[in-house]
Amino acid sequence: MSFNRLWGIFWEYRDVLLTGIGVTVALSIAAMLLAVVVGLVACLGTLAKSRLVRAPAILYVEFCRNTPVLVQLVWVHYAWPEVFGIKFDSITSSVIALALQSSGYLAEEYRAGIESIEKGQIEAAQSLGMTYPRLMRRIVLPQAFIRMLPGILNQYVTCFKSTSIVSIIAVPDLMYQAGLIVSATFLPMPVYTAVAITYFLLVLVVSSAVRYLSRKLPAGGYFQTERHAAA
Amino acid sequence: MPPPDPAIRFEKVVKRFGPLEVLRGVDLAVPGSSTIAIIGPSGSGKSTLVRCINHLERIQGGAIRVGEVTITADGLESGGRRLSGREIARHRTGIGLVSQSFNLFPHLTVMGNIVEAPTGVLRWPRAEAVDKAMALLRKVNLEDKANAYPATLSGGQQQRVAIVRSLIMDPPIMLFDEPTSALDPELTGEVLRVIRDLAIGGRTAIIVTHELRFAREVASHVVFMEEGRIVEEGPPEQVLGVPREVRTRAFVNSILE
Repeated sequence: MSFNRLWGIFWEYRDVLLTGIGVTVALSIAAMLLAVVVGLVACLGTLAKSRLVRAPAILYVEFCRNTPVLVQLVWVHYAWPEVFGIKFDSITSSVIALALQSSGYLAEEYRAGIESIEKGQIEAAQSLGMTYPRLMRRIVLPQAFIRMLPGILNQYVTCFKSTSIVSIIAVPDLMYQAGLIVSATFLPMPVYTAVAITYFLLVLVVSSAVRYLSRKLPAGGYFQTERHAAA
Repeated sequence: MPPPDPAIRFEKVVKRFGPLEVLRGVDLAVPGSSTIAIIGPSGSGKSTLVRCINHLERIQGGAIRVGEVTITADGLESGGRRLSGREIARHRTGIGLVSQSFNLFPHLTVMGNIVEAPTGVLRWPRAEAVDKAMALLRKVNLEDKANAYPATLSGGQQQRVAIVRSLIMDPPIMLFDEPTSALDPELTGEVLRVIRDLAIGGRTAIIVTHELRFAREVASHVVFMEEGRIVEEGPPEQVLGVPREVRTRAFVNSILE
């Protein structure tokens, strides 16, 4: 198999592949956005004082973290219609399943970030008369967020790679398009090689960006310079 | 305005951390507008005593009366009614706490640190809070640091900002928990001056400190604690000058040496 042959397949199916890439990227972003919010709610739930709130939140997080994403996908798409009586199209099911998985990991990421904030910060905020929701919003979360960011971005990389399984419920992502090309050309080796390289390049871009951003973040020391805008 | 004379009274206060009894039935009256210094070896319970006043630590026995509010093992009550979380938070706005480790918020500028509670908790207009903050920063010689982040300040500067952050809400009670213990010796002077000249100012103040000279200078009453009990209390000349108790004498001498 020559390089030209491989490139030929890339070129011939460029529209299909580009559509696939578009779907993959869109899926990963949608799932991640949902997971960022749901994960925060779940995380605050696991930190709640009331056991009635805490127990279901912990159960949710553990369930998300300890079931394979493929199982979650099939479960959401084929079991939810009977269990909860709600039927989603395959794209929505994919977003939900991917978000389910990521939200569990993000909840843990958030919890670690929140618990890393010094107790003195919370006591200072309490002494100034802040209630728990206010001190979370104004003091703890902004500081914790900076520390969580590398973890959140890494989870995005994981989520991105996980999207490749959604083809099994016929979502037209990159992997699904590859399957179509294979059935049209009967050339699994070059096509799947081309797809592997495409995933590799995409993920490389994302994870390099993550690494770059993580290095840019202030390591604990925070903002070292003056802010010149009006206070 | 809060009541003008918010005396604090401890009645047989007991505090435990698990099996460890940190306060073993402490009785102490703090008259309104007076300044009290608490001294004693580390682990004697003096910091814990102060932190119980604004309910950062729960007590297991006895009662603490702070103005209209009574703190017991069951929580806070006023006029026979339990206070909600929100009311406890409101109660704390009348009690400034300056701690050993400053605890400035690192993601906010000096100005942001100072106006956070007045604008967020007390709902002052921002401009009013900023004006008052600038006036206080001038008094502690830090007006040029308003837009700096805490990480760029020295310990002494950070502690002065922390004091201003409490003072801006004009609390009738100020608590100082070893305010200079984390500072380099050459920086303690500037902080002690601010405490003496600005922070105490007619308020009810309790200062936990190892600075005996300072205690003697500002306090009307000195309390010596050891192992969760008050061993000796009285005017500074007596407790620090001619202590009656052997343990007080040993402690005072160990510090002065």
